[in-house]
This record gives sequence, C-alpha cells and structure tokens, in this order.
Amino acid sequence: MTEDHFLNEYVHHENTWDEMYDSKNIRHQYSHVFSMLKHLDVDSMSNRHRLAGELFLNQGITFTVYNNNEGIERIFPFDIIPRIITGSEWREIEQGIAQRLKALNHFLKDIYHEQQIIHDGIVPAELIASCPHYIREAYGVRVPYDIYVHISGIDLIRGSDGKFYVLEDNLRTPSGVSYMLENREVTKRIFPDILSTSNVKSVSHYPMLLHEILLELASSQVSDPYIVILTPGIFNSAYYEHTFLAKQLGIDLVEGRDLVVDNHKVYTKTTKGLKQVNVIYRRVDDEFLDPLVFKQDSLLGVPGLLSTYRKGNVAIVNAVGNGVADDKAVYAYVPEMIKYYLNEEPILNNIPTYQLSDPEALKYAISNIDNLVIKNTNQSGGYGMIMGNSISDKDWVKAKAEIEKNPRNYVAQPIIQLSTVPCFINGKIQPRHVDLRPFALCGPQGIKLVPGGLTRVALTEGSLIVNSSQGGGSKDTWIIDND
Amino acid sequence: MERVEEMLRVARTYYIYSLDTNHTDSSWKPVLQIYTDLDEDKKTQFEMDNYAALKYLLLDSDNENSTKNIIQRARENARGIQDHLTREVWEEVNAMYHSINRSFVTLKLASSDALEIIDLFLKHSMMYAGIMDVTMQRGIGWNIMKLGKFVERSIETLILTDKQFELFDYDLCTERGITNWRFLLLSLAGYEAYLKTYRSNKHNQQVLHQVIFNADFPHSVLYCLNQIDRSLAVLAQENSNPEVADLLRMFGRMHSKVRFTDPLTLQQENIKQFFQELKHDLQNFNSKLRLIFFSY
Repeated sequence: MTEDHFLNEYVHHENTWDEMYDSKNIRHQYSHVFSMLKHLDVDSMSNRHRLAGELFLNQGITFTVYNNNEGIERIFPFDIIPRIITGSEWREIEQGIAQRLKALNHFLKDIYHEQQIIHDGIVPAELIASCPHYIREAYGVRVPYDIYVHISGIDLIRGSDGKFYVLEDNLRTPSGVSYMLENREVTKRIFPDILSTSNVKSVSHYPMLLHEILLELASSQVSDPYIVILTPGIFNSAYYEHTFLAKQLGIDLVEGRDLVVDNHKVYTKTTKGLKQVNVIYRRVDDEFLDPLVFKQDSLLGVPGLLSTYRKGNVAIVNAVGNGVADDKAVYAYVPEMIKYYLNEEPILNNIPTYQLSDPEALKYAISNIDNLVIKNTNQSGGYGMIMGNSISDKDWVKAKAEIEKNPRNYVAQPIIQLSTVPCFINGKIQPRHVDLRPFALCGPQGIKLVPGGLTRVALTEGSLIVNSSQGGGSKDTWIIDND
Repeated sequence: MERVEEMLRVARTYYIYSLDTNHTDSSWKPVLQIYTDLDEDKKTQFEMDNYAALKYLLLDSDNENSTKNIIQRARENARGIQDHLTREVWEEVNAMYHSINRSFVTLKLASSDALEIIDLFLKHSMMYAGIMDVTMQRGIGWNIMKLGKFVERSIETLILTDKQFELFDYDLCTERGITNWRFLLLSLAGYEAYLKTYRSNKHNQQVLHQVIFNADFPHSVLYCLNQIDRSLAVLAQENSNPEVADLLRMFGRMHSKVRFTDPLTLQQENIKQFFQELKHDLQNFNSKLRLIFFSY
C-alpha cells in the first residue's frame, strides 16, 4: 500500500467507538477486509460505488420524491464498505434481543388482558392510559399462540464504551429487511472475492423463516392457508419492500380495496370469486386498519377487519395494538419488564431515559438541554427529535413551550456518540455514525434472528441521525465467525 | 442456444451460492459433472476455483460444451440458414458471437466482475428468445426451432433434477427444507413460481411436481412435451416420410407416460428408474427426429 493510499486518509473521531480501528490498530474482524481493500485504488472503489447505484436503480429499489408534481426516483444511499460484527458480539445481541422480545410479548399479553404489571406497580396506569397506541378495541383479544410481536426491528447503537444499547423497539411494522437482503446481493456483485473469503454468515433464509411463521399462525384446521401482505399502496415509501416480500414469500400483495369482510371472515376479491384469507401480514398502521373502528376516512384498511380479528377468523401480523410496547415513554420500563416477567437481568441495556411527565425530570432536561436529545414519543423516522447541542435559541424557546404544554409526549436521553464506521464518500474514506437494526422473527417454535441486519448510516458528516427520511443511508452488515 | 441459457443460469446460481456460504460447502463438481466431460482429476482441481470452473464452462475452446463453442456453432448454423431466419435473429446470434470473443470477457470473468459477464450472456440469450418469438414466421422453420428448443429444455430439466435427487439419494421420504431445493429451482427460473404455487412444507413432492409434471411451468418436462406435441403435429402434417408415424407413436408413448403418471406413486425405488427411462426416451426421440427431418 502506498503512503497516499485512500485507506491511509482515514481519521476516526476521538472519544467515539470506531468499528474498524481501536486507538491505533485495525480490529481483527476488519483485518481481512482491510488487507483486500489495500489492493484497490480510488477509481476502482468509485466504479464499485457507481455499479452499486446502478444495480439498485435497475432493480427498482428506489423511493420516489415528489417535487412540483413530478416524481423523482431515488435510491436509498448505500455505502459499499461492509460493517463487520464478530460472532461473539452477535451472540450477545441475539440473546439480548430474544430476551427483550420475550418480555415485550408477555407485556402485550398482560396489558391487553389481566394488566398485572399495572396492579403490581411496575408500570404506571397513567402511562398506558395516556398512550395513543394503546388500542382499547384489542383488549381481551386472544391471538394465536399468544404471540403479538412476530416481526421486529429493534434498533441498537454502540456507545463509546463499545457496548450495544437499545435505542428503540420497533414492534409494529418495522421496515428495512428488504434492504438487508438486497445489500447483501449487491455486495456479491461488487466484492465477491472479499465476501467469499470472509466467512460471512448468510442472511438469505430470512424469507423462508418468515413464511414458515406466517403459515404456522393460520388456524390448524386450515390445510392450505391463504396469506396476504396488506400494503397501503404504491405511494407508500416502503412499497418496494412490500412487493419484494410478496415475491420472496410467494404470497399475494393486496390493498385494502382488494379485501372484503363478510360474516366475520375476510376475503380477497379474485377473478375466480372470493377467497378466504387466513393470515394478513399487514404493513398498514393500526389507525388505518379498519375504518369502522379507527379513522373513519381511511381508505387503506378493510371495514369490519377488527371484528373478524376478535373472532379469531384471521391472524394479523404484527398484532393490533403493539404500539403500546414500543412507545418511547414505555421503552424506559422494558428493563423492569424483563426482571418482572422473566426474573432475569437485561442482557442489552437501555439508554437512560427521562420521562418529561415527571416534573423533576422536566426541570433537569431543561437545564441540561445541551447534553440531551429530546424525542417526541409519538413520532418516528427521526422526526420530532431535538438535538440539544445543535438547536438554535429561537427554536429551543418554541420547542420548550410545546414540551411544557404536553410533557407526556416527550422523553429525554443523553446524547450518545454512536459508533463510527469507515464509509467511501466522494472518493475518500471517512468515519460516519451508524446504528444497527437486526430483524427478529417470533413464531410458535421460538425467536429467530438472521445473522445480520440493517446498518443505517448518517451520511452527513458529524450527524447522528441515521433515518433514511433524514438523509441516512445503509451498509451491508457482516457477521463473521472467526473469533 | 437453449443449452447456453440453461448453463448460464446454473452457473449464475452456483456462483452466487458459492459466495453465500462457507467456501468449503460449495463445490463446482456437480455442475462440472453435468456440463463437461472433464476427468475426475480436473474436476477435483476446478471444483473450488470459481474462475477455473467458470472459464472452462463458458470460454474454454477445448470444452465442446462451452458457451463459446455452442455460440460459435449456433452462428455457423444460423449462417447456413440465413434465408430462413429474420435479419433480427441473425444479428442477435452474430452479436453474441462477437461479444464472447472480445478480450474484456476473459478479463472480467477472472475478476470480481464475473457475474456481470454471466448476466451479459444470459440477457443475450433471453433477447434471442424474445426476438425469435416476435419476428419469426410461424412456419416450418419456427416449428423446427421450437422442437429443438423444447427437446433440449426437457433434457436439461431432467438432468438437473436427476442430479439434485441423486445428491439426496432419491429419498423422497426425508423431508427437506426449501433451502435444499433452491439451487434447482433458481437454476430452472422457477423459484418465485414455486413459492406462489405450492403452499405446504412437503417440498420433495412439490418440487418433483413443479419440475416434471406442472403443465404451467415453462421449464417442466410436461410443459416441454406439450409444446413438442404441438410443433410435431404441424411438422408431421407436412412430411410424407413413412417413419413419421413411428416418431409420433414414440412421442405419444413418452408424452403419455408423463401425463398419466401419478407423482405420488413415485417412490425412492422407482424415481431413479423413471428419470432414466425418460432421459433415454427423450434421447431416442431426439435421434429419430434428427434422422427424419435432417438426414436425407
């Protein structure tokens, strides 16, 4: 490697965990990739970057940005250098997520039935009562095998101490799994030699696992269950993923208008007549699911769907009402839930969270705003976040007034310097902050994680916001078992 | 040309497969056994080497069955019957021939861009099939091409299926997950169709049904035989050779065997025999077909 090789330009941040470097040396999990990259020059890397973009565009892995009534197809930015996690780190993540999901499933069953956790004073009743995602209509509904969270994407970050922390739980309709799978396919094209010699665990069986779980959720009396994916339609930003999963699973993709409820059963309208649906993998939020119960003007859902669900004539994945468990205010109680339901210590830690409904916490947050991030509990995708270290005085005055008006809707957390990874941006290798969304599947046979996940990258220098809606991109995530 | 398409699809599937698992799990040996007559030592030498295997399968002039040699022969054939082909079909075959002889093909195949080369010729193959379909008059020439195409396809499907079942010792009773069948289904461009059509976990029987007995799956043996049946009927009408009646009887027996075999009755003992007989029948039919229509 010559002295002016692009890899030599990499300077990682002080006081931040860098995934490739410790203070001076290359971490062992990166050593093989690093040695292979040494043989490539900037032009070769740029060509691979360009090829990756073309592959995403040609396969239609795009989202549409509307401007002046014109749709512009954009790809979800992809950084070509993989993010690498060791086998032992992965095992901890796997166990931690499985433990957390087990507890969250218990919580959802409890909160929609006996509510023992409230009676025992672990979770305050007012927190649940004030949660907009607690669905009263789901109270008392029995779901197959008592599983509420079938598909989850729990966001993890790595702090400057090198430990993984849970950033948030996504238990409703987590997206991004298609990018995890497609990122790997693109890596096969751009770095086949590095991939094949790095002992990387495969992720390609995810659709098979998901399909098995969906089949198992149908009533045991149905020999040939009919499963559909319910999408909000082509204007949804995750529509590509809905079509991708429908193809990979070999199941039909439907919109609300394709379904009809008759005599407490759901049917798809087909050219051969009505066909009963046994399992719906819905990618439509609760509030749009059934206009007879939720938003009356929703055209995305199916009138009467909830009554069918209550009668047990259709399984809905994920269960209705899961939003109460991934509410950002309820998040703070998950470690307590793990102790309460499982009698175990949490394997993965939460980030310290201040409930601003508590006047003391509110006072603390206001006086220490420089070191905190404030999150709106009802928003996601990086929206409604106030980064205390970068907000202007004018904006803070406005935001503070909003927070004081309804503090239940806000939580505060210390600003954590997410770990950095090397990214190839504008012909240079530069550190950027990342998180990790592993995808877990929960069925009657237990909880399974595919070894990988979606690494989201904050592509803007210094930014800690990784969401695609806020300029984030993604990376292929390699779990390598060589330790 | 049908063989080129199939071989490229197999090579593509296998190449990707080799990247997706531990290197020790993937060997090119089964593919080399199907498509080459390399001796065992060479097969062992090439089996773990992506480049060596791909180069031999695609570009090696010493390999009778290499993509390059097949394309070259197809071009020679096309040249000889240019008056029966449309200009578009000839140009596509010619373009393929010139493409595969360009130096960048060897260079890229040896690099991390190998998949790009496989995809390039796979696209060419599909383009060729599309151009033929869109531009060729539905006369004798068309039906002869169709016959050749579907005889080749049915044999390819049968060989690949037989190989896959051989790896499982023709054991239909031990249920195997879909991952075990992915290679075969992807190689036959039937993975998505399989997922949409078959819903239970009895993959052994379902895969067997899809690749042999499913009349709607364009790579199944039955679909190919149905297509052959139609073209053969047209050609037989216009041919006065007394041997044609024999050929029709021979085909009818083979076609009926597939049409009227109940897949559920095929067990470990007779499935191997079923494949072998079918392969044998198809090869005999192919020889007789050549004899009647091309040897005067």
